[in-house]
Amino acid sequence: MLANILVTTLVNAAAYAMLAVGFSLIFGVGRIINLAHTAYYMLAGFSIYTLVATAGCPAAPAVLLTIALITVIAVLCYKLLIDPMREHETTVLIITIALALVFQELMLKYFGGQFRSVPSLARGFFVILGVQVTRQHALTCMVLVLILGAVWLLLQKTRLGLAIRATAQDKEVANLMGMDVSRIAAITAAISAALAATAGALVAPLNILEPHMWLHPLTIILAIVVLGGLGSIKGSILGAVIIALSESLVIFLLPQGSFLKGAFSLLIMIIVLLIRPEGLFGVALEGER
Amino acid sequence: MKKEFFQVEGLTKKFGGLTAVDHVSFAVHRDEVVGLIGPNGAGKSTLVKIIMGILKPDSGSIRFQGKEIRGKNPWDIVNMGIAGTFQNTRPFRRMPIIANVMVACLAPRGRRRGEWVKRVEAKAKDALEFAGISDLALEPAAHLSHGDLKRLEIARAIATEPELLILDEPFGGLNPVETELLAKSIRRLHRGGRFGRLHSEGMGMIIIEHKLSELMKIVDRVIVLHFGQIIATGTPQEIVENPAVIEAYLGKEGA
Repeated sequence: MLANILVTTLVNAAAYAMLAVGFSLIFGVGRIINLAHTAYYMLAGFSIYTLVATAGCPAAPAVLLTIALITVIAVLCYKLLIDPMREHETTVLIITIALALVFQELMLKYFGGQFRSVPSLARGFFVILGVQVTRQHALTCMVLVLILGAVWLLLQKTRLGLAIRATAQDKEVANLMGMDVSRIAAITAAISAALAATAGALVAPLNILEPHMWLHPLTIILAIVVLGGLGSIKGSILGAVIIALSESLVIFLLPQGSFLKGAFSLLIMIIVLLIRPEGLFGVALEGER
Repeated sequence: MKKEFFQVEGLTKKFGGLTAVDHVSFAVHRDEVVGLIGPNGAGKSTLVKIIMGILKPDSGSIRFQGKEIRGKNPWDIVNMGIAGTFQNTRPFRRMPIIANVMVACLAPRGRRRGEWVKRVEAKAKDALEFAGISDLALEPAAHLSHGDLKRLEIARAIATEPELLILDEPFGGLNPVETELLAKSIRRLHRGGRFGRLHSEGMGMIIIEHKLSELMKIVDRVIVLHFGQIIATGTPQEIVENPAVIEAYLGKEGA
């Protein structure tokens, strides 16, 4: 039982963290609350489905192609729709939610509303600590953790990372130090979308695919980033672990109440916010002038 | 005619009915330190913000080394070789001091292709060394005293290896000892030379300051701004004796 909870938590936490980190990054750098973030995740799922199930493409190239495709779409959307409106935060919010709905309707039109599943990218399973873990779950988890590590290194150890962190803290000052802030924001938008696409491509085969699948993860990652502190990468990862743990606790301890897992996650978020309004690693927005 | 180093012509900026900067024209040579003074609200800081590209002027031109810089973005202007510090210090509060300066070293101007973070760090360290706060390199910026923040601002400005440096109230809020130290650093910067990995051929400077006695010691020439207009220019000696300047600061005699 305990092992079961742990393994499920790990897989879900990795996927949530992946989505939440991307969401946090672009919020931090561009002050953009991108509600279309999980729509990229959904699109990536459909792209994998088309490539693998319909076109018979092998798994690895399908994943890479999907990530490239979604990133290009996301960057185009960013440049054409979001960037010109960046100063108007409410407008950006409305544009992103509209964008998500457009993607949803397009997928409904081409694929229909029925539930689909993507064939496993890796077959078979191992037994770890007495729990059956499919190869697909193990692979997903490993890749996600590796990528999160790579993002961490990118942010901490490279010049681009330093530029991203500086812009996230104070974009006006970064600008005054010769930093091309809009370029940095565009690069961050690309990284953020690539993370969502990777999560979509790898996690989609574990779940059911349908055009509304972006809505549930969106609520969950909103809870995660608010819980962890908006804009904080550390917070997003810790938040993802907390929410994933609470979900698996509900599912395994109260099997008949598992439909409550979402409500339970949001409840945890509310409790944390009551105690620490800025979230666990929150940037209290004092520096914002 | 010799190409001017830095030249402002007919610069005007209105905020609603208020003309903050009114047809201001002046030039700065590379081998000069120019003081910009004037009573509160004279438009000094507005002028600096226009030069740095933060505010857009209504009319006029700003030329730097023969190129028009009016209407360019702040990062373009920094990369052309102008750096500024501001009245209110604004560090990246959650980053260590050294990272604060490293950000400035990343500007395409100061950057060499393929340079690793380690080398950027070494360069930032030199800028801190110059500003005299290298022992605080690993402290988060939020812990610094006011005087050290001013030094950090200067370290960040020189890390972009500018040719024209604009300092907005560098002595504001400093005690006399700190002021003297900083004044010395400024003179040294102006002379130029090699500071570790940072190289400077000496930079032109514009300094805005309220502490006139300190300012007069380090500048070659002073420009006095009053209600957005230049009312006097001259050597420090000429300025302190200029009746129009005395009137602007103290009011008319007997009034």
